[in-house]
Amino acid sequence: MQSLRLSLGIIGASVLTAAPALAHSGSISGGFVGGFAHPLFGADHVVAMVAVGLWGAFLGAPAIFILPVIFPLVMASGGVLGILGVALPGTEVGIAISAIVLGSMVALAARPPDWVQQAVVGAFAVFHGYSHGAELPGGVDAVAYSIGFVVATGLLHLSGIALGLTVRWPAGYIGVRGTGAAIACAGLVFLWQLL
Amino acid sequence: MTQIALLLVGLLSHLSIDAAMADAPFKGAGNFYGGLLHPLFVPAHVLAVVSTGLLIGRQKSRLRWLAPASYVVGLAVGFAAMMSAYAPQIAAEVLLAAAAASGGLVALARPLPEILACALALTTGLALAFDSPPSVISVRDANVILMGTFCGAIVLLFAVAKVTSTLRREWQRIATRIFGSWIAASAVLVLALQLAR
Repeated sequence: MQSLRLSLGIIGASVLTAAPALAHSGSISGGFVGGFAHPLFGADHVVAMVAVGLWGAFLGAPAIFILPVIFPLVMASGGVLGILGVALPGTEVGIAISAIVLGSMVALAARPPDWVQQAVVGAFAVFHGYSHGAELPGGVDAVAYSIGFVVATGLLHLSGIALGLTVRWPAGYIGVRGTGAAIACAGLVFLWQLL
Repeated sequence: MTQIALLLVGLLSHLSIDAAMADAPFKGAGNFYGGLLHPLFVPAHVLAVVSTGLLIGRQKSRLRWLAPASYVVGLAVGFAAMMSAYAPQIAAEVLLAAAAASGGLVALARPLPEILACALALTTGLALAFDSPPSVISVRDANVILMGTFCGAIVLLFAVAKVTSTLRREWQRIATRIFGSWIAASAVLVLALQLAR
């Protein structure tokens, strides 16, 4: 354990104190910040991501960790479709509906079978991923951008999980279901704006 | 207390790197440190090495030395080829594909066949070496950078694998799986972007 800590200390110190030999182009920091900010500036994305975490925490194990694992994996496949320019009609409508459905699941305390939970979350992840992939800007470090936006998405899930963990207390149970209802209402507003 | 002292020694020894460069024992010492840090500052390399480290750290004891050995062999072969001026063009794509595969396997959290784990580690090492062409003209400087990158890539993998092997609590295992899924998602997206360009 001591040698492990020493190794980590040396690696950390190296990062802080020496300049790397970089032969790769693109702004790493700009790419990461751009990617990280991207999901945070779309209210429809934010509420749906929080709802995934909230629902996972509400359902408990194994959904609490399976849903946040499934979402980014399936989201990436949607992102690939967006990047490759494959047409996916109704993307924004799908995102708005994701907020309605996921929020409603929490509000109604729905506990469908595991495969249904995973199918619902995976299906909506395609729309979110497609939207991100289609908007991936050129000229930035693509790896840093993708890492930033996946991390931001994951952190939104975790914030939903953190909020959802309050469900074990009576006030928290009401609060979580109320938040789910609010997310569903927000989804209805997004959908109304699109139609 | 001893651990803190050791960390301080490590930190101070690296704080003095810049000053020491003025009296470097041989020309190109700076290049070595630059190469050493290369895997830490190239996001695609970090993704690949971290996901491989996570994967290895989650395996049973036999794979914990067999897979890293394959990785080191891959690195060594790759860097030897690079020093002989051989550099394939698809190294970046292969590296990202390996990162996506490793990240996905971490997320799945299933025991791996030895051959698959070793093949993946070997591929990662090989692709990382081929994707680290030095941007200097001097052959000597380039070789020093490559040696630094070789060492840095090994240290990073072993550190991640070691840390991962110590994560035994349930929430830590869950966090590792989520982290693996993030890496896989990032790698798949970038791979698609590179193939689309």
